[in-house]
Amino acid sequence: MQDYKNRPSPPPWSTRFLAWFIKEDYYEDIQGDLEEEFQLKAEGSTLLRARYWYRWQIMRLFRPAMMKRLKPQDSIEKETTMFKNYLKIGFRNLWKYKSSTAINIVGLSTGLAAFVLISLFLKDEISYDKHFENVEEIHRVTVKNYTVDGDVSRQWAFASAGHAKRLKEDYSDITHAVRFYPWAFPDIVVEDKTLRGEAVIFAGDDVFDVFSFKFIEGNAETAFDDLYSLVLTEATAIKLYGNDWRNQNILGSQLKLERGNQEAPFKVTGVMEDMPDQQHFHFDYLAPIRFIEMLFGEDASNNVGGNYNWLTYVRISGNANIPELTKSVNDEFWDKYIGTTRSGAPASNFYDFEFQPILDIHLTSNLEGEYENNGSIQQVYIFGIVGILLLLVACVNYMNIATSHYSRRMKEVGVRKVIGAFKTSLVKQFLTESTLITVISLPICVLLILWALPYLNNFMEKSIAFNPFTQLGLLGSLLLLLLGVGLIAGLYPALFLSKVNLVQALKGEQSMNSGKWNFRSWLVAFQYTVTIALIFSIAVIESQMQFIRNSNPGYNREQVLNVNIRPIANLETFKNELLSSPNIEKASYSSRIPTGRLADSMGSNYFMGDSAVASGFRLPYIRVDKDFLDTYEIELVAGENFREGMQVENMFDRDSSGNFITASANYIINETAAKSFGYENPADILGTVITYGPSEGRIIGIMKDFHFESLHSTIAPMLLMYRENYRRLSLKISGNNLQNTLDFIERTWGDFEKEIPINYTFLDESFNDQYRQEERLSSMIKVFAVIAIIIGCLGLIGMVGFIIETKLKEIGIRKVLGASTQSIWLMVSNRFLILVGIAFIVALPISYYLMDGWLDEFVYRTRIGAFIIFLPVVLSVALTLIAISYQTIKATLVNPVECLKDE
Amino acid sequence: MKEYQLGEFEEIVLLTVAILYEDAYGVSIKQEIETRLKRNVSVSALQTALRRLEKKGYLKSSFGEATAIRGGKRKRFFKVTKAGKSALDYTKDVRVQLWSAIPNVTFEYAGL
Repeated sequence: MQDYKNRPSPPPWSTRFLAWFIKEDYYEDIQGDLEEEFQLKAEGSTLLRARYWYRWQIMRLFRPAMMKRLKPQDSIEKETTMFKNYLKIGFRNLWKYKSSTAINIVGLSTGLAAFVLISLFLKDEISYDKHFENVEEIHRVTVKNYTVDGDVSRQWAFASAGHAKRLKEDYSDITHAVRFYPWAFPDIVVEDKTLRGEAVIFAGDDVFDVFSFKFIEGNAETAFDDLYSLVLTEATAIKLYGNDWRNQNILGSQLKLERGNQEAPFKVTGVMEDMPDQQHFHFDYLAPIRFIEMLFGEDASNNVGGNYNWLTYVRISGNANIPELTKSVNDEFWDKYIGTTRSGAPASNFYDFEFQPILDIHLTSNLEGEYENNGSIQQVYIFGIVGILLLLVACVNYMNIATSHYSRRMKEVGVRKVIGAFKTSLVKQFLTESTLITVISLPICVLLILWALPYLNNFMEKSIAFNPFTQLGLLGSLLLLLLGVGLIAGLYPALFLSKVNLVQALKGEQSMNSGKWNFRSWLVAFQYTVTIALIFSIAVIESQMQFIRNSNPGYNREQVLNVNIRPIANLETFKNELLSSPNIEKASYSSRIPTGRLADSMGSNYFMGDSAVASGFRLPYIRVDKDFLDTYEIELVAGENFREGMQVENMFDRDSSGNFITASANYIINETAAKSFGYENPADILGTVITYGPSEGRIIGIMKDFHFESLHSTIAPMLLMYRENYRRLSLKISGNNLQNTLDFIERTWGDFEKEIPINYTFLDESFNDQYRQEERLSSMIKVFAVIAIIIGCLGLIGMVGFIIETKLKEIGIRKVLGASTQSIWLMVSNRFLILVGIAFIVALPISYYLMDGWLDEFVYRTRIGAFIIFLPVVLSVALTLIAISYQTIKATLVNPVECLKDE
Repeated sequence: MKEYQLGEFEEIVLLTVAILYEDAYGVSIKQEIETRLKRNVSVSALQTALRRLEKKGYLKSSFGEATAIRGGKRKRFFKVTKAGKSALDYTKDVRVQLWSAIPNVTFEYAGL
């Protein structure tokens, strides 16, 4: 017999490994066999060999047939059975508590639908221009103008004609440069069809290198080979040639561009895909800019200062340092090409380039003369916040209702626990139930989105598409979102219920409500916080909009009609003809009208003694006739209005030696301008001689300040000059018989201009259009905020009902002991009022801060008064009290016996 | 017939269990096969075959005594069941049938 103690032992690690993987009931005999044979081998040959053999055998035993079954494999059957049970119980419970199920589903689906809509909108907003190739390299050339003081006076979205070419020639980092010029909206004649006033855009040769427009027919390389080439978009091709244009082989087909009595033969050299909506400019026709150069001559298409009409883009090579490039361009360019201005100061003091990344344009750029209306990053943030709040409110709401709802099921939880349910299986059960609701909400949510999207599109002037069946990614993310919401929403009730003490659960005690300030109280407080913050924000937005709508711009905007008079030749007769109608009270010509922009400006000097001193501020002008002030009912503070015979003529005429002929002019300026000239009392400036542009003149009148531009900017100095070259006619009409008056105006127009139809606007409409962005934003926010508030309120009402329900016994006992309805009411309300108080303290500073920032975007803004501050609190308190009263009265009216006999 | 399908190694194991009768457990079966057939058998292959045969119902097993050399682990003894016997019979019959069906000429040509 061997000495057992000294027997060699098999490698322990291998044994442990074997024990780990092999089936439990195989382990004993197999390991025994192995050990036995190991011992035999250890005696027979060497220990090393035996060990090696042992290890090797175990390695070979590591095969599926010998392994333990994996846990899930084991429990799949059990799981699915239990899952079926969870579903069944879930559906039964949903059906049993129909009202809370309805509140839940409505709340979740609306909240989610609103969230998805906002996300779709935001996704659209942030996807602008991303489709271009090399989009990181494309920059727009913008020009900043500075005042004498060195402040930026304007920043233009357009550059001068000569910028693109010179920038590209001088800087190797700028690899391509293209400028666009919309020329005169010519008529297009195709065969027998004439399209009037089409926006033909003339573009530089690099256009297809900078922007990767996709061609359907023709190609980028040869499109602009010929001077008279025209590239269409698909939509215009359809417009010109009909839906079957693809079959007509339109490449090379001839069409004519006409303007007035000029005409030019063009031919189609390419058809591009339509420009996507998410692009900050849209062109229908592209033609080579060489045509314009030929038309305007070298000089006009080559200037380097002013005349910012040329939309210019450059491609800057990827490894260039943009800030450095900008600096060196600004250091050199202006000195090199302009030198000094007329007043002798270096031009570089007055101009700066800024290369604006194309991706920033849609959301953050709001420069002078943006080609199309841009979005705003502010808007994106606000909507983002509102969207997230909506989702949160929907979730919190869901959690609140769910917990209150589940507490009715304490006994079920207790029984399940007694029977042997694990905590995890309870969690699973409640998560299943919560996702059940979200899954039911999904189709409703999708329907809601489909229903609401057209309205949103219409309202925001977008064309966002939503089709969950073709956009699989969208459907997937929606599903994920829903499941996520279900998970988040179900997590708290799930964890909470599964933690419940067994005995308490079975006794039916509402242990969850014993603590006064449990987690759910905080959820309710959160709900209140969001509601108060949203009501507050709406109130602020609304009061600012009211403020703007009711603010007096300083001129009369009622019953004023503006007519674009470009085609009319004989203005004086036209005006007299119109004034012959008794319904047209006043008429006035001007170059621009209030609600427009003060874009024209010239340098001004005033005289100190004999020497002219440049005024250090921008003094824009408009050309008006003598009836302008009268028509707009703008008062004169001092001095007199223009009279017949005061017109400035020949302003830009030069004498034989090339000097400007100085005309003696008369000007009217506003109070702000007078103050800017240094006269505290505006009347004192009357009679002062200033030079304005090339001409010299006297200030004959001071008009009261008015908001020529929108209330976004402060009232700027401005100057009126009595000089022809008008573009607009303003008619003050009497209120009665509007339709007749309009008919009369159109008839008269018809007598003077046969071809082009009249184009008029009402001033109050243009006035409101100035704030369309804000109006839109505020109504959108209002809609979504109201949804959030409604969801929140639903939740609150549900909560109140629940809390009363759990206190039914207490109420019954109190009543038996003689408590009055009021005291019971007070007892219940107390707690909610404290929550409202907390919410108020949290919500107000945050939303005040945010909304104050929003208001700061307006120069003229309303004040956030006490009314606005307390309105949300009053509203939410009132709402809560109504809900409480309803429930309390219902509870107190019940005979105490009813609620006490339970159990 | 399907139900009596036995692999070659399975057949050997089944036969060896039958040979060892009362003393058929892992080590003894393995040694028996190794000495009789002069081939190395891995524990893994043997155990897999044994368990498979047990699952098919040709073998049944029961724990026996524990010995010191086994580190105190019990042996698992295998016994051929009635079904196992039938399977062996069937296999043998098939072989015999096949043998008897061979015409004598076959081997003459095969020998070439």
